[in-house]
Amino acid sequence: MTATELISLVTQALFVGLFLATLWQLLRRPSRSSLDTLLLFGSIAAVVLVSRIAEWFGLNETLATGLTIVFINMAPLAMIRLVDDFSGTARWIPWLGVAVFVGVSAISVVAYQSSPRAIELILIAWFLLVGGYAAASFAWAAARSRGITRRRMTAVAIGAVSFIAAIVLVLVGALVESEVTSVIGQLLALASAIAFFLGFAPPGWVRRAWREPDLREFLQHSIHLASLTDERKAIMDLQSAVADTFGATGAAIGVADPQGRVLRYARRTGEWLESPSDAFIGGRAFTQQRRIVTHDAPGEDPENASTYQEVAAHTVIAAPITLEDRRIGVLTVFASRAPIFIEDDMWLLDLIADQTGVLLEARALNAEEASLQSREEAARLKEEFLSAAAHDLRTPLTVVLGQAELLERRAARNPTAPVDAAGIARIAREARRLRDLVSQLLDVQRLEKGAAPMELAEHNLWDVVSAVQERFGEHGLDLRAVPPAAPLVATMDRMRIEQVLDNLIENAIKYTTSGELPEISVDWEGDQARIAVIDKGVGVPEAERERIFERFYRGSNVEKVTDTGMGLGLYICRRIVEGHGGRIWAQPTAGGGTTFVVTLPARPAVEAVAGPGAASWQISPAGSEAAADA
Amino acid sequence: MPDVHVLVVDDEPDIRATVSAMLEIEGYAVTEAANGADALHRVEERAPDVILLDMRMPVLDGWGFAAELRRRGHRMPIVVMTAARDAAHWASEIAASAFVAKPFGFDDLITAVEEVRPGT
Repeated sequence: MTATELISLVTQALFVGLFLATLWQLLRRPSRSSLDTLLLFGSIAAVVLVSRIAEWFGLNETLATGLTIVFINMAPLAMIRLVDDFSGTARWIPWLGVAVFVGVSAISVVAYQSSPRAIELILIAWFLLVGGYAAASFAWAAARSRGITRRRMTAVAIGAVSFIAAIVLVLVGALVESEVTSVIGQLLALASAIAFFLGFAPPGWVRRAWREPDLREFLQHSIHLASLTDERKAIMDLQSAVADTFGATGAAIGVADPQGRVLRYARRTGEWLESPSDAFIGGRAFTQQRRIVTHDAPGEDPENASTYQEVAAHTVIAAPITLEDRRIGVLTVFASRAPIFIEDDMWLLDLIADQTGVLLEARALNAEEASLQSREEAARLKEEFLSAAAHDLRTPLTVVLGQAELLERRAARNPTAPVDAAGIARIAREARRLRDLVSQLLDVQRLEKGAAPMELAEHNLWDVVSAVQERFGEHGLDLRAVPPAAPLVATMDRMRIEQVLDNLIENAIKYTTSGELPEISVDWEGDQARIAVIDKGVGVPEAERERIFERFYRGSNVEKVTDTGMGLGLYICRRIVEGHGGRIWAQPTAGGGTTFVVTLPARPAVEAVAGPGAASWQISPAGSEAAADA
Repeated sequence: MPDVHVLVVDDEPDIRATVSAMLEIEGYAVTEAANGADALHRVEERAPDVILLDMRMPVLDGWGFAAELRRRGHRMPIVVMTAARDAAHWASEIAASAFVAKPFGFDDLITAVEEVRPGT
C-alpha cells in the first residue's frame, strides 16, 4: 500500500465514522440540522462505499461512476442546507441548490461516458460555486459567533474549505493527469475529515480542552461582580457575560425569594420585574428544576409571546440555578436563532448556571458584610457625636457650676458683700451657650434623621434677606445689603434659610476683630440665586475651606477670637442649603477676609406675579430699594 | 497659705476666671495661661507650686507642655482638668499627680489641689 493509498484509506474511514456519528445524533435528537449533517456525511460515505465495493468486489463501471457522481454532488447541496440551518439564507437558495443538483447529476450521469472532460468542468464549477459559497458562509458565521460555538464553527469552515479544495484538486488532477495535484487533494481531504470531525462530533477530550478557556473567560469577566454592592448592576453584568459565552442575543437571571414563590429580574430601566415563580419558560425550568430548551418560545409560552418577540427570543434555553440544594433562581439564555451546537453544549450551560449561583451567593454575602460595616460605621459616628457633644457641653457647665458655687460661698461668708457682677455675667453667658449648643445638637439630629420636614413656600429672596438685616439692625448692627437687579423668587423653608443667614452673619461678625460689619449681596446667575456674606475678618486658610463645613470641625485660627462654637454651625448651614438643592462654600474676600456664598434654585419674580399664591411675596421694586438703603 | 502658687492653664477664658476665683477664695496665689506655650513662659517667670492643666489646647497642648516642662527639669505636681471621658488615662499618660473631670465643682477642685500641693 502506498502512502497516498494509506491517506486515502484513513480519510475514508474518518468520513464513514462521521457518518455513523451523525446518524447516531439524528436518531437521538432528530432535527433539521442533524438531518442535513447526515446528508453531508452520508453522501461522502456513500461515495467511499461505492468505490470500495467497486475495488473489492467489482462493480459495473457505468453504475459506479453514476452513483459516485450523484452522491458527490449531494455534498455541496447538504452544505447549502447547513448554511441555512446555521445562519439563515434567502429562501430560494436551498431550492436553487436542489434544482442545480438534479440538473448537474442528470447531465453528468447521461453524458459522462461520451464527454468526461466537459462533465468534469461542470462538476468543478458546481463545487467551486456552491461549495465556495457554503465555505464562505461558515467562515462568516464563525467570525460572528462567540465562545465555544466559534471554535466549532471555525473547524467546520476549515473542513468545508478543505473538502471543496480537495474535490476540485482531485477533479483537476484527473483532468490534467497530474499525480502531485491528486496527492495534495488527498491530503486536503484528510484535513477536511479531521476538521469536520472536530466541528461536528468533537471527542470528549477536545470538548474539555475547549470548555476551559470559555469558563475561564466567563469567570475573569464576572468574578469582580461578587464585590459589587449594587445587586441589579451585578446581575446585568453577569447576564451579558453569560450571553457572550454562548454567543447568544441575551441572558436573563431570575433570583428567587426565600420561599421560591417569586422570581426577580433586573430591568434595564432601573427597577426589578417580579413575576410568579412559574411564569415564563425560565419559571418552568425553576419550578420543575430541570433544563428546558425550546426553539419556538412565543409558541411554547403564548401568554408571554410579546415579551419574547420584543427581544427576538425564539430559541430559549433555561437552567435552574442551585447551590447545595438551595434553589437560588434560574438562568435563561435566549437568541433569535439557536446558537449552533447549543444542544451539544448544555453541559456548559449547567456549569455556567452553577458558577452564576456561586457568584450571586458571594455577592450577597459581600453586600451583607458591607451593610454590616456601614451599620458599624454609623454606630461609631453616633458614638463620636455623643462624645464630642458631651465634651462641648461640659465646658460651659463647669463655668456655670463653678461660678454658682462661688456665689454661694461668698454669700455664706459675707452676706452683705456687693454682687459679683462679673461672675453672674459668666453664668448667664455660659448658660446661653449651653442653650445654643443643645438646640444645635437637636438641629443636627433632626437634619440627619431627615425628621425635619421642610415647610416649603415661594418667597421673594430680598424679603428674606431684608428681614434678617432688620433683625441685626435692632441690635445696633447695621449691615449693608445689595439687592438683586430684579426681584427673585425661590422655593424655600424660610425659617431655615434665615437660620443659615443668621449663622453666616454671626460668624462673620465673630471672626472680624476690626469690628467692621459684613456686607450681604444678592444676585442671580443662570437659574441660581447667589447670596454672599462678605467679611473683612481673619479669613479661612485655603486648606480648611472645605473642612469648616464638616461636623465638629473648628477652624485652626479660632483662638484668634473668643469662640463659643461647637463646630456645628456651618455643618447645619450646609445640610439646610443642600436640602434646598443649593450649594454653600467659602472663598477669600478681595483684600482679606472670607466670603460665604449660598446658591439656591430661583427664578425671576416678574413672570410669576400673576401666578397663584403670588401675593405673599409680591413686592414693588421701590420696596427693595428702600430696604437696601436701611 | 498665701505662699502656695498655682498656675491655671486653659484656653477657655471663662474656665480660667472661674478656677482662679475658686482658688483665690481659698487663699491661693494664681497665675493664668491660655495655652502650653504661654504656660512655659509663666513657669520661667515664676515657678508655680502646682499646675492645673487643660489637655486640648491650641498652639501647645497639655501633652507637649508636660513633656517640655519635665525636660526643663521642673518637678512640681500637675493636676489635669479636662472634659474628656478618658481624663484618668490622659493624666497617667503625662504622669500627672491628679485629675479633675469637667464639669467639676468647688470641692472637687480644691480637694485635688490640696492633695498634691507641697506641705500636705
